[in-house]
Amino acid sequence: MTRSGAGPIGSAFVADLRRIVGNEGMVTEPLELLTYECDGLPHLRHMPPAVCLPSSAEDVQEVVRLCNRHDVPFVARGHGSGLSGGAMPIAGGLVIGLARLNRVLDVDIPNRRVTVEPGVTNLEITRQVAPYGFYYAPDPSSQQVCSIGGNVAENSGGAHCLKYGFTVHHVLSVEVVLSNGDLVHLDGAIADAPGPDLLGVLIGSEGTLGIVTKITVRILRKPEAVQTLLAAYDNIPSAGTAVSEIISAGIIPAAVEIMDGVSLIAVEAAVHPNFPPAEAILIVELDGPVAEVREQFAQVEAICHRAGATTVEVAQTEEHRARIWKGRKGAFASMGRVTPNYYVQDGVVPRTKLPEVLDRIRRLEKRCGLRIGNVFHAGDGNLHPLICYDEKIPGQSELAAEVGGEILQYCIDAGGSLTGEHGIGADKAEYMPKMFSADDLDVMLTVRRAFDPKGLCNPGKVFPTPRLCGEVPGPYHVHPLEKAGLAERF
Amino acid sequence: MVGIESFDGVAPRQTIEPASAEDVAATLAAASKERASVVLRGGGTKIGWGRTPASVDIVVSTKRLSAVVAHEHADLTATVQAGARLDEVNRVLARHGQWLPVESAFDESTIGGAIATNDSGPLRHRYGTPRDLLIGIRLALTDGRLIKAGGNVVKNVAGYDVGRLMAGSHGSLAAIVSATFKLMPLPAATNTVIATFGRADDLVAALAAITSSQLEASAIDVRAGGSATAGPYVLVLKFESTPGALNAHVQKARALIGGAATDIVSSQSEADLWRAHLRAPWASPGMVIRFAWLPASLGTVLTFLGDLRGSAADVEFIGRAAIGSGLVRVDADTLVQRNIVERLRSRTDVFRHVVVLRADARLKAQLDVWGPLGDAGALGASVKHALDPNGILNAGRGPV
Repeated sequence: MTRSGAGPIGSAFVADLRRIVGNEGMVTEPLELLTYECDGLPHLRHMPPAVCLPSSAEDVQEVVRLCNRHDVPFVARGHGSGLSGGAMPIAGGLVIGLARLNRVLDVDIPNRRVTVEPGVTNLEITRQVAPYGFYYAPDPSSQQVCSIGGNVAENSGGAHCLKYGFTVHHVLSVEVVLSNGDLVHLDGAIADAPGPDLLGVLIGSEGTLGIVTKITVRILRKPEAVQTLLAAYDNIPSAGTAVSEIISAGIIPAAVEIMDGVSLIAVEAAVHPNFPPAEAILIVELDGPVAEVREQFAQVEAICHRAGATTVEVAQTEEHRARIWKGRKGAFASMGRVTPNYYVQDGVVPRTKLPEVLDRIRRLEKRCGLRIGNVFHAGDGNLHPLICYDEKIPGQSELAAEVGGEILQYCIDAGGSLTGEHGIGADKAEYMPKMFSADDLDVMLTVRRAFDPKGLCNPGKVFPTPRLCGEVPGPYHVHPLEKAGLAERF
Repeated sequence: MVGIESFDGVAPRQTIEPASAEDVAATLAAASKERASVVLRGGGTKIGWGRTPASVDIVVSTKRLSAVVAHEHADLTATVQAGARLDEVNRVLARHGQWLPVESAFDESTIGGAIATNDSGPLRHRYGTPRDLLIGIRLALTDGRLIKAGGNVVKNVAGYDVGRLMAGSHGSLAAIVSATFKLMPLPAATNTVIATFGRADDLVAALAAITSSQLEASAIDVRAGGSATAGPYVLVLKFESTPGALNAHVQKARALIGGAATDIVSSQSEADLWRAHLRAPWASPGMVIRFAWLPASLGTVLTFLGDLRGSAADVEFIGRAAIGSGLVRVDADTLVQRNIVERLRSRTDVFRHVVVLRADARLKAQLDVWGPLGDAGALGASVKHALDPNGILNAGRGPV
């Protein structure tokens, strides 16, 4: 763990913050600050000098203006469930937690849209509109806890994005506080705002372009029918063959997931989904109008059998379907049953390259001596290798990180991407040059400067350090200081 | 050289047709150095959109960049050069039963133009606009560099989505040289239901019944006015499904529509119908405006447009009913046209993003075709300045 020394956040600055957000909005007690030292990627952590919790967009503006005046960088944080260290505090930087901006502002069923503040959870949107027969489509596995603001920052996907797309396809507009404190509205929640798609570039920018304070999303009518099946296979390639045949039959399932042997042992122990014994489980879900789903589902069943399934289990009830999904969505949380620690990557490969890349991962597993589980969104080639390690064994943490890097290299070699939905964050910033040239990255930084000239929004994330020429050097400096008396910081 | 075309009477000094991405980049770099104004041209079908320029030094055409670089059909993706025609691309993709579901009213529309304008058609209801299908891009910048953003995979959140930034940029930020898209399987079977209503209220009620149901239409379009229309208010619904399920959708739609006269159109007549529908606002003279509204205020929109027709102007309206986006064509003298744009823009409770797409130079001289960009205007200008510091692209025609 590192933490900053005497940075620009001193007692006078904290007093100014306190005037804006009140005592209840200030976190400076060391024990409470511990909550904020990392997000869902626990091996990257940094003790923040201070955290503030504004409760309105105006407060966010005031806080950001204060930061701007003093050249203090800041990190926006939703509910801290991110998996790439995007919300990890930075040295000398303020954490702006948005948990208190958690109001549902407008449920507009006639116009099929909901307006919320960023601290509202993903699932809460669906809860609000479910009584009317609607839902919010993006469904990251963390949807019960993750914030919609975080979803916007990460352009979150989920199991159903093969058919329904990502956050960027479902956000109609946002209100964003820029690093100079200006409040800007992108796209006005009505179609076809003229001009470049600023909203499109903001979504997925991982908190490096501004702080979103209001979000309008579109909601969808619940599909008339949903059918889910689970097919068990002796090996992953057979499950992969089934997926290829489904896609080439012109069927776009709502979801296509594969879990491997290691992850199956873990979920069976932790959440008891009662899956049949298998080396690979394929989950396919179709949704849409009854007649269409019925016709395509029969095709999918036949394809799954033809590909050599040992068992095909069709969910007969909503409970059965929920149990299948519990097994899939509980996979990460269950890994504790098979390993003291794990490190998850989410590289993407073109779907047709899955067999080749999975084979390389298998060989890597044998070579490195760490177990590697795999749970992946097979329809879109989004891998989630779970690298098992024990941090108590000297060198294993480093080895796990190295293995993760190697797997990302395989993804890039196959023409894929470093991340499908978890984001680059602090975790994968150093790998960006594997995927993008210096010029590619420089253009992104050029766009960044247009939004945030001083580089105050979440510096040190997304882009590799040492920084490329052209980026304005941030006002912060990383001082990897040892743990010291926390009280002397203010 | 392509035929000389003018921009509201302003003729370009020179037209260049680069044969490679590198040449596009070099052309832009040279132009930027000389501060020569540049208009990027694809098929030229929407080249008139935008403000009247003071001057245009160079037109850079993507005509010679027309290849389908790769169709990875098993991955449902394709990479295409900017100058490739949409219809040509879809002919190639159809060999494997796939397509890029982007429609255009114009035969010669190109991929680059589709992205730069983010133009779309009725099937936007199901598939979104080009920005929703774009997964990767290659750009030539005004400093002469070629860069890429995004990638070849449908799911990817690495780095900024600079490609999406190009959607709606109208060639004012950088030149698109190629793009990668996610594709869709061609629908196995389609049918179109046309319902005609005497009163706007009845159309609105039928529409509400359709959109509140669990029917999944691919297009839900509304049409009013114009000579080609049989009745005053028409609802046009397209269904794409499996052969076995299609009829169930159509019958359910008919039942929900209730008393209105309905027609069901299929095969070639269906294709012809949509082609004519898409082209309708462009096929007759007059200015063409694009505007948006909240879907639930369609009734007010129709009443307002009905009143315009009452004032003797030739008014034709086509829109995406469930999205709230449409085109209106008005054939009248300049003063009446200007008055209509101002009336639409003043009703901010109903109409937003009122953009004048096609207009003669006289009208353009009297108003800003883009309208107000809101509080994001400064941010747009800042992005423009960052990518095009000498301000050469799109010759001041906007939107940024």
